[in-house]
Amino acid sequence: MKGDEGRRRRELVTQGEYRVTTDSGISYASILGSCVATCLYDPEIGVGGMNHFLLPGENRDGAASDMRYGVHLMELLINGVMSQGGRRARFKAKIFGGARVMPGLSDVGATNSRFAEAFLKHEGIEIAASDLGGSRGRRIEFHPTTGLARLIYIASDWKPLATPPPRRRAPSPAPAAAGDIELFDRD
Amino acid sequence: MALANNLQVMVVDDTSVSRALIVNALDEMGVRNVVLAKDGASALKTLMLNPVHLVISDMHMPGLDGIALLKGLREFAPTSKIGFILVTGSADASLIARGLAYKLNNFVPKPFTTATLKKAIEAVVGRLA
Repeated sequence: MKGDEGRRRRELVTQGEYRVTTDSGISYASILGSCVATCLYDPEIGVGGMNHFLLPGENRDGAASDMRYGVHLMELLINGVMSQGGRRARFKAKIFGGARVMPGLSDVGATNSRFAEAFLKHEGIEIAASDLGGSRGRRIEFHPTTGLARLIYIASDWKPLATPPPRRRAPSPAPAAAGDIELFDRD
Repeated sequence: MALANNLQVMVVDDTSVSRALIVNALDEMGVRNVVLAKDGASALKTLMLNPVHLVISDMHMPGLDGIALLKGLREFAPTSKIGFILVTGSADASLIARGLAYKLNNFVPKPFTTATLKKAIEAVVGRLA
């Protein structure tokens, strides 16, 4: 596994995006504040994808509109994985993010986390791992064809951009204060 | 009596949360005579035995997708006149053209609002209330 990492092409998944692949040479990366990323994969045939969403929170239509937007982004990911041969019954998910990065403001991160958990539970998709909430941002990397995910906490004084720039960036080293690294195995 | 009270609708979507969202929106419009199907094949089977006035269907589903369901309905005389609205996140011109070839009545892009869904339904069946 570790030997493969250097050869993988890392693609950044930014807010509002989703990506799906069967290419074992690709890993998806994302930087999350109050946003949530859903990593969805079918471990049996080696296909997976990631989305990255932030429910808008304050809309004319309120909660119903938020819900529809979130469901839409989840459906795009599900349909994407199914279109590459994934079977819904075998799907597993890992969800990350949903931090409360701006103390004092409404806890958008918690809303995003609750939505992702409730959606997956309702659709009968197993949540194989999750790391949600807290006050620190996260940098995650997901290998779609195996389901392996890596999470690095970002120092609490780091401020996420409202909308990450839509360009590929070389991953920056973890801040010195970040520290924690967790590895999630497939099962 | 308002059309909404008499209208019989089938909602077809493989995502149960999406089915519930459409049913909730229909409920807000006063349309409560709704049956559900979780994929195109089961929808077609049910509709052949018990046709409805209007089908609101997702596009991307395992097995028969929205267009395949529409085609199946149009090819069977008792279901050939059923109103059909496609709900899709990828409403590109080629998809709509494929639908129109089978007399697709309307489409609604995702994520939809109750207002846009209502407008699409009324364009097919007339004013609900």
